[in-house]
Amino acid sequence: MTPGLTLEHVGVRLGAAHVLEGVSLDVPVGQFVSLLGASGSGKSTLLRLVVGLAQATSGRLAWAGEAITATSIERGLVFQDYALYPWMTLTENVALAVARRDPRLPPSERRAQAHAHLSLVGLADAAEKHPFEVSGGMQQRAAIARALALGSSLLALDEPFGALDPVNRARLQDLLLEIWDGASPRKTILFVTHDVDEALYLGARVVILGGAPGRVISDFEVPFPRPRDRGALLGHRDFHRLRDEIATRIDRDMLDRLKAA
Amino acid sequence: MAEAHAALAREVPDNAAPFRPAWPRRVFAYRDAVLVFAVLLIAWVLISRYVATAQNSLLPGPAKVFSALWDALPELWRGTVASLAILVPGFGIATVLGVVLGLRVGTSERLRRTFFPCVRVAAPVPPTVYIPYAIAVLPTFRTSAIFVVFVGAFWPVFISAASGAHSLDARYRDNARILGLDDFTYHRRVVFPAALPHIFSGMGVGLGFSFILLTVAELFGANAGLGRFVQYYADFADYPRMVAGILYTGLVTFLAMTLLDWTRKKALFWLR
Repeated sequence: MTPGLTLEHVGVRLGAAHVLEGVSLDVPVGQFVSLLGASGSGKSTLLRLVVGLAQATSGRLAWAGEAITATSIERGLVFQDYALYPWMTLTENVALAVARRDPRLPPSERRAQAHAHLSLVGLADAAEKHPFEVSGGMQQRAAIARALALGSSLLALDEPFGALDPVNRARLQDLLLEIWDGASPRKTILFVTHDVDEALYLGARVVILGGAPGRVISDFEVPFPRPRDRGALLGHRDFHRLRDEIATRIDRDMLDRLKAA
Repeated sequence: MAEAHAALAREVPDNAAPFRPAWPRRVFAYRDAVLVFAVLLIAWVLISRYVATAQNSLLPGPAKVFSALWDALPELWRGTVASLAILVPGFGIATVLGVVLGLRVGTSERLRRTFFPCVRVAAPVPPTVYIPYAIAVLPTFRTSAIFVVFVGAFWPVFISAASGAHSLDARYRDNARILGLDDFTYHRRVVFPAALPHIFSGMGVGLGFSFILLTVAELFGANAGLGRFVQYYADFADYPRMVAGILYTGLVTFLAMTLLDWTRKKALFWLR
């Protein structure tokens, strides 16, 4: 079996601040992991480490058996705020990733592939628009299309749907699941969120970060079979029990940190 | 959830502003400005009529000036061409080099540390002091004038491009790293457009300097040009022509600035 993502006793210090300490985590290839935690628990920092935007000050990180030392197109990231380039059309934004994947493609083919990726996320009609001309949900769809165009086998998402209205949020959650489920081999997904329902609906596993400095305070498999149905989940007693447990866990962690501060 | 609601609220179109047709508001917006022009013109008429009454007045009235302007138009046009033949290459080379070098230095901490001490010493030197030396060193008046204009426009563009590149939004940089953009693509497609607002303000300052240096340089040794025109008729005490030349130069400067501003608005369509 190919090794997936491995974190061993990972710690991060930024000056005097301990952001993360002793984080160990093993994620097999193709797993969908939801990462929860109160704000300031180091979730985003952890993602930045995994994609190579930041360096750990202690411990080791590896993807597919190789130490993570820099960014790589094998590990993509979808940002919290859409971070598309506003001076490029959606097609041009995605074409940047296409060109990186296959630098020898002629420009016309590059655009065609970018357009195909945008169609996949339902943006065929908006492909020639600029980010400021489309809604936040559409921008985030384009950001997902760009991550897909990069062809990364590990996809990290940092609260990608946090700024969306509930309807768009649900649609994009389903889109993401569809993409994850449809690909073969499946992508490994690290999904950071502060929405407990979202974490349970999407993830095969939930990891909770907490404490100061941040570490893994809880890590469990989500017991619900796929395909999951929102309505059915809401009627499920286990769902409510899990949701309450997680929420309590995060709240207690936050209170502890407030007391300590 | 609160964020989601905020997002929803943002997407509701803003119907709060009452409907008002566009053109009267425009006229009102310019009314005061038009008044200022009218007052200045009246003051000019009064001063030329009641304060300076000598025959070869230092303060010619508008009628005299405008008729001189009309007569001098062919000569002024030739002057414009001669001046632009210095301004355009000088400012153009300064912009291209300033942007390219500025972006390169601005994105590298090491290059910044290496070159900025030198820049801090060289940039504040008033470029006018180079004029006599440039004229002595360079073979023709035109090349020395182009050089002086270049020096004047280069520093503002260079410094603004460097600071624009340096203050690049961290998200744009992270994004480029995730996408694995090579150095050239990163500078051309990300750093350059992101720094454009800075670059344009540097170009505005640079263009202002260019005109100043152009006209000053022309006082030294040109045989045609806008600054030369003004100096020439001042020497002959032909003040109506001189004032006409000043007004005309002001108009050319204004048009150049307007063109730059228009380009800026077109280029920065994504900024809101």
